[in-house]
Amino acid sequence: MNAEFLILMLVVVTALAFDFTNGFHDTGNAMATSIATGALKPKVAVTLSAVLNLVGAFLSVEVALTVTNAVIKIQDKSGAPKPEFLADGGYSLLMIVLAGLVGGIIWNLATWLLGLPSSSSHALFGGLVGAGIAAVGFGGVNWVGDGTKLDGVVGKVILPALFSPVLAAAIAAAGTYLIHRITRTVTDRYREAGFRWGQIGSASMVSLAHGTNDAQKTMGVITLALLASGHWSSTTDVPFWVKISCALAIAAGTYIGGWRVIRTLGKGLVEISSPQGMAAESSSAAVILVSSHLGFALSTTHVATGSILGSGIGKKGAEVRWKVAGRMALAWLITLPAAALVGALTWFIGHTIGGLGGALLIFALLVAAATFMYLRSRKTAVHAGNVNDDWADAQRDTSAPTLTSTH
Amino acid sequence: MHNISLALGGAWKVLLYGLLLGAGLPAVFALGMRSLSWGTAHGGTESGAAPAPHPVGRVVAILCFALVIAVALTGVAFIIASGMGKTISFQYVFPTFVDK
Repeated sequence: MNAEFLILMLVVVTALAFDFTNGFHDTGNAMATSIATGALKPKVAVTLSAVLNLVGAFLSVEVALTVTNAVIKIQDKSGAPKPEFLADGGYSLLMIVLAGLVGGIIWNLATWLLGLPSSSSHALFGGLVGAGIAAVGFGGVNWVGDGTKLDGVVGKVILPALFSPVLAAAIAAAGTYLIHRITRTVTDRYREAGFRWGQIGSASMVSLAHGTNDAQKTMGVITLALLASGHWSSTTDVPFWVKISCALAIAAGTYIGGWRVIRTLGKGLVEISSPQGMAAESSSAAVILVSSHLGFALSTTHVATGSILGSGIGKKGAEVRWKVAGRMALAWLITLPAAALVGALTWFIGHTIGGLGGALLIFALLVAAATFMYLRSRKTAVHAGNVNDDWADAQRDTSAPTLTSTH
Repeated sequence: MHNISLALGGAWKVLLYGLLLGAGLPAVFALGMRSLSWGTAHGGTESGAAPAPHPVGRVVAILCFALVIAVALTGVAFIIASGMGKTISFQYVFPTFVDK
């Protein structure tokens, strides 16, 4: 077993770890509202979402291998790695991808620790941009694309992040208003029960769409690493084991459930009822499906958060905790630069040491950082048993989701 | 900045179709719920058993729910189609899978 192969293995393991964090960071996008309103028991909700993510991942028959093209220039249009990165068995490309993934994972874990929903795809793109700048310079970044379509950091990351939450909020607010207007004569008991079904249905759709969209990204990244190191040659296909392992990783992550993020989305932003939940998830599903049909990239997280916020705006007398929303918006603003910074730093460390030792060191640093954040999270653990506890006044101002009662 | 004009051009489409599907469909669902409760608002029996809805209300409700389910299934078909690198065309009224 040679050094190149070991580095490739590190990249594959790190990519699957990213896929896992992608899953558990995003469970709340689909299921937070169903959990908060009691439409589904917490464990049932994450299981349903995990299964749908698994199914969704397997539905990705046609996987785009050009995922990194959105932000950096290390692949050509067909998905093949550019030749200048292929010296030393693809070492320079593998190091960019590895450092980018580390940036994405660390940002995902940090925001999870703070209970902040933030976009996993933006974290990955940020990490790749940082590693790309560190390795190639600013010219290595695809900032605005070639002008024919929405592309590059501006077109696929920044603009969607500005537009999609606002659109989702407007649609969810309209839906919430209409639903309440139409059903104001229906007794509360029937209303809650009826809308729970609608809520579960629409949330399931969001989960399925998430599985098809997000697992693909990791499949593309792993296949790129295999192409670069000469272990795969087709640019129209991904190895079957890559598909299976990515599908399982995202489903396992979803099942573990990012309870801290679920809590913020379900309880922190708005005190949500079933009708609002259905309006929010329907808006998310509609925005995600319409945008992907029109070929626009967007983040499920931004859409879901915007929708939940909108469901609070659309209901008369509902309280929207703008402070929580503001903290999220701030997190979104710094997602790309923060993940980029970690990606760039990671690349420099790996590059300075060089060779297998460099790759092993960054991997060890990643494991250390992840362990630290996991242990830190145990101090104020959020889990299926306390995810729906009242959002106390005190915690509105603290960064971590501390709890008022223990179970 | 072509990206900004492209995004603005796309945003209103997302808003329009999003409102139609993401807000319109829940409203149809809500109409179904309201139809089901037609005639039951003041007719609740003391025992707490649910009174039967007006027959017309029931028919309207079923139509509403059927429409919601049909559109939702089309949504699932969209997801499956995009996973296979295809999209759905309504050229023949019935949704059919076509290449992107």
